[in-house]
Amino acid sequence: MNAARIVFSDARYVILSFAIFAPMLAGLLLLGEYVFVEPYFVSHLPPGSELGLVLIVALCALSALVIPMNVYRIVALKSSRQRMGGGVLGSVVGAAAGACGCGPVGFAVISTFGAAGATATAFLTNYELPIRLAAIAVLAVSYVATARSLRTECRIGQR
Amino acid sequence: MKTAWIGAGVAAVIGIVAVAALSGIEPQEARVYGEISTENGSPILGDPDAPVTIIEFGDYQCHGCHNWFLNTKPLITRDYIETGKANLIFVDLAILGQDSWTAAQASHCAGEQDMFWEYHDAVYNNHEDTIDGGWASKENLVRFAGEIGLDTDAFKWCLDSNKYADRVRANTNEGKSNGISATPGFFIVGKDGQSDLITGAQPYITFKHFLDEMS
Repeated sequence: MNAARIVFSDARYVILSFAIFAPMLAGLLLLGEYVFVEPYFVSHLPPGSELGLVLIVALCALSALVIPMNVYRIVALKSSRQRMGGGVLGSVVGAAAGACGCGPVGFAVISTFGAAGATATAFLTNYELPIRLAAIAVLAVSYVATARSLRTECRIGQR
Repeated sequence: MKTAWIGAGVAAVIGIVAVAALSGIEPQEARVYGEISTENGSPILGDPDAPVTIIEFGDYQCHGCHNWFLNTKPLITRDYIETGKANLIFVDLAILGQDSWTAAQASHCAGEQDMFWEYHDAVYNNHEDTIDGGWASKENLVRFAGEIGLDTDAFKWCLDSNKYADRVRANTNEGKSNGISATPGFFIVGKDGQSDLITGAQPYITFKHFLDEMS
C-alpha cells in the first residue's frame, strides 16, 4: 500500500499537513514579496520571479508531505526520531533561503548582528535558488526514505 | 580704506563658497516633508511644486528596489511625475553591504555633474541579484559613469575622496529613525504634510490608490 495513503487516511495527519502547508506558504509569500497585506492585501508576481514562486510552492508541499509522515512513524509506529531530521532540516533551510535579503527579516538580522548578520544575509540572498533547490532535494530524499521505511514497518506490523 | 574693506568682503565670500564646494556639502534648501528630511537625498525628480511627494528609501543592491525600479517606477513616472501630479526623491538606505555604500556615494558624485537620476538609472539597469558580488564594485561604478557620459576623472576623484560618506550615513539614519524596516520603503507625503508608509516593492495599484487620494 502507498505509504502516503496509509498516513493520510487518518484525518489528524491531513490536518497536520494543512497546518504546515498554509502558514509556511503564507509566510514565504509575504517574505518573498509575492503578497502584501499592508496597507491592504495585494498579490504581485514581477517578471522573472516565477521560478522563485514555483520553488516556494514545491518546498511547502514537500514539507507538508514529509513532516506528517515522519510524525506518523514516531507516534503510530513508535519508530526512532532520527529520520525526522531530514524533513525538518530541509524545511527550515529552504525557508531561511528566502527570508533574508532586503525584507524586514534581513533588515532585523543586519541591525541586530551587524557585519556578521550582513554576511549571513548576503550568503542567503546570493545563493537563494541553489539553497532552495538543495532543500527540495533533501526533502525529496527524506520522502523516499520515509515512504520505504513506512512500507517495511507497516508490513512487519501487519504480521 | 573703503576699497580694502570691499576687497576683504569679496575674499571672505570666495572663501566660504570654496570651503562649501570642497567639503561636498551642497547649499541645498532644507527639504522637509512631514517629519522626513530629504536635504541629503537626491535632486527632486519632477515638478518641485507637485501636490504629492514620493520619498523612496532604497539600497542599490536590494533586489526589491530593483524590482520596483523595473516594474512600478515607470508607470508612476508616466502617470504622476511627468504629469506634474507627484515628484520623487530617492534617499539612500545603504545597509546590505559595502558596495551599497559605495554605490550610494557614487550617485551623489554623479549629482555633482547634474546627472544623479541618469546615474541612478544606470546603476539599476546594471543590477545583478548578488550582494557584494562585484557588479557594483568601484571599477564598475566608474564604468557606468563613463557609459552615460560623465567626466570619469572627476567622478573617480570624487568617489575616492569619500566626500559623500557622511551624507549617505545621514540618509541611512534618517530612514531608520523614521521607521523604515525594509527596502524599498516609501513615504507618500501630501501638501498638508500628512504621510503614508508603503513597505516593499509593491505594485503600481498600491501607489495609485494613495496618489489619487492625495493629488
